[in-house]
Amino acid sequence: MFDTVTLRILANHSRAAAENMARTLFRTAHSAFVKETQDFTVMILDPQGRTVAVPMDFGATWYPGLTCGRAIGMIDDYRPGDVGFTNDPYSGYLATHAPDTHLWKPVFHDGEIVAWTAGHIHNTDMGGAVPASLSRSLTEIHQEGLRFPPMKLMREGVFDEQILKIMATNVRKPDLNVGDIKALVGALNTGERKVLSMIEKFGIETFREGLGELLDYAEAQARGVLADIPDGRYSFADYADEDSVEGNPCRLNLTLTIEGDSAVLDFTGSDPQLASSLNVPSGGDPRHSMLLVGIYYVLYTLKPGILLNQGLTRPFTCITPEGTVLNPQFPAAVGMRSLTCARLRSVIFGAFSQAIPQRLPAAPAGNNCIVNVMTTDERRRRTVIAAVNPVVGGGGAMPHRDGTNGSGADAAYLKNTPIEITEAETPIQFVRYGLRPDSGGAGRWRGGLATEMAFRVFAPDSRITARNRDRSFFRPWGVLGGRAAGLSDMVVNPGTPEERRLGNTDIAVLQPGDVLSIHSAGGGGRGDPFEREAWRVALDVARGYVGEASALQDYGVVIREGVLDEAATTALRAARAPAGALPHFHFGPERESYERSWTTEAYDALTAILAALPVHWRFFVKTEIFAARRAADGRQSVEEAFAAVRRRFPQIPQITQGIETAEACG
Amino acid sequence: MAWKIGVDIGGTFIDFCALEQETRRLVTLKVLTTPDDPGRELLTGIERLAETEGVVPEAIEVFVHGTTVGINTVIQRKGARLALVTNAGFEDVVELARLRLPDMYSLFCAQPEPLVLRDMIFGISGRVLSDGSEAAALDPGELEAIVESARAKGAEGFVVSLLHSYIAPAHERAVKRALERMAPDLFVFTSSEVWPVIREYERSVTTILNGYVHPRVSGYLTGLEAALASRGVPARPLLTKSNGGLMNAAEGKSACVNMLLSGTASGVIGAAHLAGQAGLRNVLTLDIGGTSADLALIVDGEPQFGTGEAVGEFPLYIPSVSVSSIGIGGGSIARVDELGVLKVGPDSAGSLPGPACYGRGGREATITDAMAVLGYIGQVPMAYGQLAIDRDLAHRAVAVLAERLGRGVEATAEAILQIGVSEIFVEVEKLASRYGVDIRDFTLMPFGGGGPMLGCFLAREIGVRRIVAPRRPGVVSALGGLVADLKGDFIRTVFRLCDDDAAAALERCLEELTAEGETWLRKGQGFAGPIRTVVSADMRYAGQSFEIEVPLERAWIERVDTAAMRRAFHDQHLAVYDFNDPAAAVEVVNLRLVAIGESEPVVFPSSPSRKETPRPAKMIEVFLDGAHRTVPLYRREDLVAGSHFDGPAVVAQEDTTLAVPAWLTAHVDEVLNIHLEPAE
Repeated sequence: MFDTVTLRILANHSRAAAENMARTLFRTAHSAFVKETQDFTVMILDPQGRTVAVPMDFGATWYPGLTCGRAIGMIDDYRPGDVGFTNDPYSGYLATHAPDTHLWKPVFHDGEIVAWTAGHIHNTDMGGAVPASLSRSLTEIHQEGLRFPPMKLMREGVFDEQILKIMATNVRKPDLNVGDIKALVGALNTGERKVLSMIEKFGIETFREGLGELLDYAEAQARGVLADIPDGRYSFADYADEDSVEGNPCRLNLTLTIEGDSAVLDFTGSDPQLASSLNVPSGGDPRHSMLLVGIYYVLYTLKPGILLNQGLTRPFTCITPEGTVLNPQFPAAVGMRSLTCARLRSVIFGAFSQAIPQRLPAAPAGNNCIVNVMTTDERRRRTVIAAVNPVVGGGGAMPHRDGTNGSGADAAYLKNTPIEITEAETPIQFVRYGLRPDSGGAGRWRGGLATEMAFRVFAPDSRITARNRDRSFFRPWGVLGGRAAGLSDMVVNPGTPEERRLGNTDIAVLQPGDVLSIHSAGGGGRGDPFEREAWRVALDVARGYVGEASALQDYGVVIREGVLDEAATTALRAARAPAGALPHFHFGPERESYERSWTTEAYDALTAILAALPVHWRFFVKTEIFAARRAADGRQSVEEAFAAVRRRFPQIPQITQGIETAEACG
Repeated sequence: MAWKIGVDIGGTFIDFCALEQETRRLVTLKVLTTPDDPGRELLTGIERLAETEGVVPEAIEVFVHGTTVGINTVIQRKGARLALVTNAGFEDVVELARLRLPDMYSLFCAQPEPLVLRDMIFGISGRVLSDGSEAAALDPGELEAIVESARAKGAEGFVVSLLHSYIAPAHERAVKRALERMAPDLFVFTSSEVWPVIREYERSVTTILNGYVHPRVSGYLTGLEAALASRGVPARPLLTKSNGGLMNAAEGKSACVNMLLSGTASGVIGAAHLAGQAGLRNVLTLDIGGTSADLALIVDGEPQFGTGEAVGEFPLYIPSVSVSSIGIGGGSIARVDELGVLKVGPDSAGSLPGPACYGRGGREATITDAMAVLGYIGQVPMAYGQLAIDRDLAHRAVAVLAERLGRGVEATAEAILQIGVSEIFVEVEKLASRYGVDIRDFTLMPFGGGGPMLGCFLAREIGVRRIVAPRRPGVVSALGGLVADLKGDFIRTVFRLCDDDAAAALERCLEELTAEGETWLRKGQGFAGPIRTVVSADMRYAGQSFEIEVPLERAWIERVDTAAMRRAFHDQHLAVYDFNDPAAAVEVVNLRLVAIGESEPVVFPSSPSRKETPRPAKMIEVFLDGAHRTVPLYRREDLVAGSHFDGPAVVAQEDTTLAVPAWLTAHVDEVLNIHLEPAE
C-alpha cells in the first residue's frame, strides 16, 4: 500500500509545482486576459494526460478535471524540449473555443515520459469574423478564427517559426498572443523543473505510483461526498434566454441519478445544437471537464479543501446526445459557450439542490457580463477600445446566511477595474456603480444583490458590447420557499422619455450624452421570506438593499420612513394564509408562464422529433415549431405544430425509424 | 550610561531588546503579555530590566515600540463605528471591493464584512472628474442631514473618500472642514490626506482602516506616553511602521494605518540587519510562532516592499514590507481524515489551550507535540522558565493518531513534522516564483519561537543549503526597531504618458513631495540630521492594468530626461517580467518619495573567535530519520565564537530550540550566529 504520509507530501509538492507555474505565467504574460481576468490554467498531468495538480488561488476554476490525453495522442514521437499545442475545439476536444490555446510539454526521465506540464491561455483574438473572435451571432467554427489541430509548437526547445508567422498574419493582436504563449512555455518549463526535482526527492517509482494515488485519493474523496447524498433520480431544467438571434429559449435538461458513490448526468432533452455560437463542444466525452465545472463547485462546497484533480471526475458519467447543444457536431460555432456553461452549472446546482437542499445555496445570478466600450476620445481624436467592469450578480442564498452581493458562487474569479482608472483612460463618465436594490430573491435568507453600472458617453456612435448577458427573462431560482431573483437588463437613458430597454441584446450604439445602464440578475432566495427576522429586513431597508415596499409585500414587514412597526408586522405576518406545502423551486412568473405552454411533455415530444432528424435539420425545425406554436398562441401541441411545419416544408426528411425508437445518440 | 530599547508585543510575549550605547552591551527579556491590561507588561518589563540588568529608566534615551494593538483591533473587529461620506451612486464601492473573492471554488465564498456597512455610508452630490474639473458642486445642505443621521446611528468619526480626490482634493477638504465645524467632537479623515493614490477602493479601504483603529491606537499611545513619563523615561516613544521605518507616537495617533503591520515588518528589518552583519545578501526569513509562519525575502541586502499586504481580512495599500503568511505554527493541529490521510493545520491550538504538552488542557496533537515526542524539546527548561513541556502528554496526543495510521508514535511524530514542513514548502515556492528567484541561492534565517525548530527541515525541503540561526531568535522584531530609521512615504498620482510633455508636472510633483518629506522629518519628527530621499515611480506600458515601481534618479526629472525614465522602466520590466517592449508608450501613474532620517548605526559587540568543540550539556535521545539516536544537546550560552560541531545535534536556549539534522555542520561566528552548512 502506498504510504499516506508520502501521499500528503507529494500532494503538497505537486500543488507547489502548479502554483509555481501559475505565478510564472502571471508574472511574464502580456495580455489583460491573463493579468487581470486571469483566464488561464496550468496543471501537472500524469503520463496519460490526466490532470494531477492545479493551483488554488490563481487562474480560472474550470479545468481541474481536464484530460489532455486525446490531444496529446494526436502527435506521435515526442522528444525532450517539444511542446504540443492546439486551439481547435474539434480536434481532441481539449480546447473549447478558438481563443483558448492549450499547450503541453513532456517531462522525460531516463528517456521515458513520466509526466506532462500543461496549461491554457485565452488569446485576446484569434482572427475570424469579429474582433476578439467571439460573437453569439456566428454560426460555424470557421468564422471564429484560425484553428490549429494538435501539432508541435516547439521542437526540442525551438519554436516553429512558421506556426508563429501564420498566427501573426491572421490574428488582430499578434504581439499579445505570442507574448502570452511564450509566457506559458516559460511556465511549462518551470513545471518541468519542479517535476524533475520531485522525482529526485521521492524517487521515480514513488513519483510514478504517487501520481496515480493522488488521482485515486481525489476519487475516493468525491465518492465519499456522493455516498453521503441520498440515492435517487433528480430532474432539472433551466434555460438560457435566447438560443440565437431567433430569440427562442435554449433549454438544458438534466436527469441526475445518484447511486451509492457514483452519479450519472443524463443531459438528454437539452436543445439541439444551435445555429449560434452557444454550443459546448464536449465531443460526447462522459467526463469532459467543461461539463463538470458545476460538479467541482458542488464537491468543493460540500467538502472544502477537497483535492482538485481528474480523479474527481471518475464517479461521474455524463450523457450528451450527439448533435445537441452540449455535444455539437463539426462545424457548429462554439465561441460563446461560456454563456451556456453558466446555465449548465445552474442546472447541476438545481439537480443537487433537490437531493441535498439543506447543504446547497439557491441559484447564483449566473450572468457574468463582460462589457467593452468603443468610443472616440474627442481631445486626442482617436478611437478608444476598453474593457470596463464586468457586471456580475450575487450568489444564491446559503443555508445559513444571505447570498454574497454583487459577486460570489461560480462568478468569484472575476475582477473589476477601478472607476478612476477607467475614467482617466476612457472618455466615459460613470453615473453609478453599485448594488441594485430589491434584486436579490426574497427569503428567510436573501439572495445576493445584483450589480448595476451606468455610464455616459460623449462621442457619436459609441458602441458598447455586453457579452454573456442572460437572465433577462428566466430568473435565478429560489429554493424551499425562497423567491426567484430580479432580472438583468440593459437600458439606454433610463428614467427619461428617451428610455430604451434592450433586454438580452448584447450591443448598444450610443450618441453623445446617452447613458447606458446595465444590471445583472440577483441571486435566488432561500426559505420563506415571512420567516426572516423583522430586524434583518429592517437592516436591509436601512442599508438600501430592500425597499420599504418590498419589505411589506415580500417579507410582510411593516417599515414606515425607516422605522420598524413590530406590532403591525406581527399582525400582518399572522394574517397571511397558510402557504401549504411549498414547491422546492420558485422560478418566477416568466418561467411559470412559459412552462404552461412548454411543459415537460411538450419538451419530451420536441426532443423525440428533433433527435430523429438529421443534425442539420434540427435547429431549423425547432425554430419553426416554436414559431408555429407562438402563432397558435400555445394552443397547439408539439406534434400538431410539427405536422404544420412539415406541411410547409415537405423537404423535412421522413422519420423512418419512428420517433419511439429514435437513435439513442451519444 | 545611555540605553536604547526596542520593544515588540506578540501574542504570548512582549519582547525587550536593550542596547547600552557606549559598551554595546545587549540584553533581552521576555515578559508574558497581559491582554486584560495592555501596557502593564511594558512597565513590568522596564522594572525587570532595571532590577536585573541595571537599566536605569532615566537613562533610556531611545524607546522604539512595535505593537499589535492596531491589527488586533481589525482582527477582533473592535474598532470605531465609522460613517463614510462618498459620492452618490458609488456607495457600494467598499462592499464590491475588487469583486474577486477568496476561496473561489466554494459556492459559499464571500467578501469579509466591510468595516463600514451600507447604512453608515452617505452619498453626496458633488463630483470631480479625472482631469480634476468639477462636474457637480458640493451641496453643503446635504452634510447637515448626514451629520444628524450619523450621530443618531452612533458614529464616532467620519471617513471621507471621493472620486478623483488624489488629483483634486478640494471637495474632500471642504467636506472635512464642514464636518469638523458641525461635529467638533467627531474625528474626520480624508482619503487624500491618508494616502492620495488613484484607485477608489484601495484608497477608501486604507482610509477606513486608519479611522477604524484610530481611537484605540491613539488611546493606547497616550497611555504609553504617560506610563513612560511616570517611570521617568526621558525618551519620546517611536513606533515601528509597516514600511519598516519609524515615526513618533504623536504622528502614530493620527497616521495609525502606517503601523498596522509593524511587528512583521520590523522582524524583517531586524533580520536584514543580522543578515548584513553576517555578510549575507540573499536571505529567506522564516518567523514561526504558535499559529503561523511568516516568510520574507531579503534580496541583495534589501527587504522587499509591496502593497496589498493582508491586515486581517483586508488588503493594505500603503507601502509595506512584503511578508507571506501561512497558517502553520507550533500550535498547528494534526488530524487524520476519513481516508486515513494525515493533515496538519490550518487549525491551531493557539496559546490556549495550546499544544497538549503545555498541559493546559490541549488534547489534540500539534507540531510542538511532535517535536516533543521526537525528543527535540522538553529536555531542558525553556521560555524563560515560564513554560514546562510534558512529553508524556505529547506522546499520548500523538499516539491517538498513530493508532489510526497504524504507525509507531515516533514515526507518526516525524510524519507530522514532514507534512507541516511540506505545507510551508508550498508557500515558499509561491513566494519564490512570485519574485522569480531561485530559492536555492538563498540562506535561510529562522527566528521566532518555532523557526529554529523547523528551519533545517524546511531547508532540506526547499533545497536551501545554508542556514543562519541568530543568537536571539525570539527578539528579532524588537531588534528591528532598534536598527530602523525614521521613514515616511509620500505619493502623487501623475497618470500621464512619460514624455517631455509630462516633465513640468513631474518636476512640480517632485518638488511638492520633497517639501512634504522634509516637513515630515524636520517638523513632524524633530529630526536634525541629514535627510536622504529615495525617488521612484509606478510605471507601466500604456493600456496595462498594473504598474511596477521603478527607482529613479532625481536628476532625470530635474533635467527633463524622460527618456532615461523610460529606459529605466524598460529595464525594470525586463527584470521583473522577463520581457519588455522598448517601442511601446510608457505611462507614469504615481511618483513616490521616501524620506529617511537615518538612525545612528547600531554595532553589536563581537567576540574573538577561537576554534573549539563545545561540550554538550547532556546527551539526549531523539528520533531522527526513522531511528532512535543519541545526540548532543548544547546550551546556546555555552557556544562561543569559533565553536563548531556536527549534526545531528540540538541547541537549546530559553526561548527556542534549534534542531540540527545529520547533514549539516555548524560553526559560530563573532556575533554568535550559528552558521549551518552541509557537511563535507
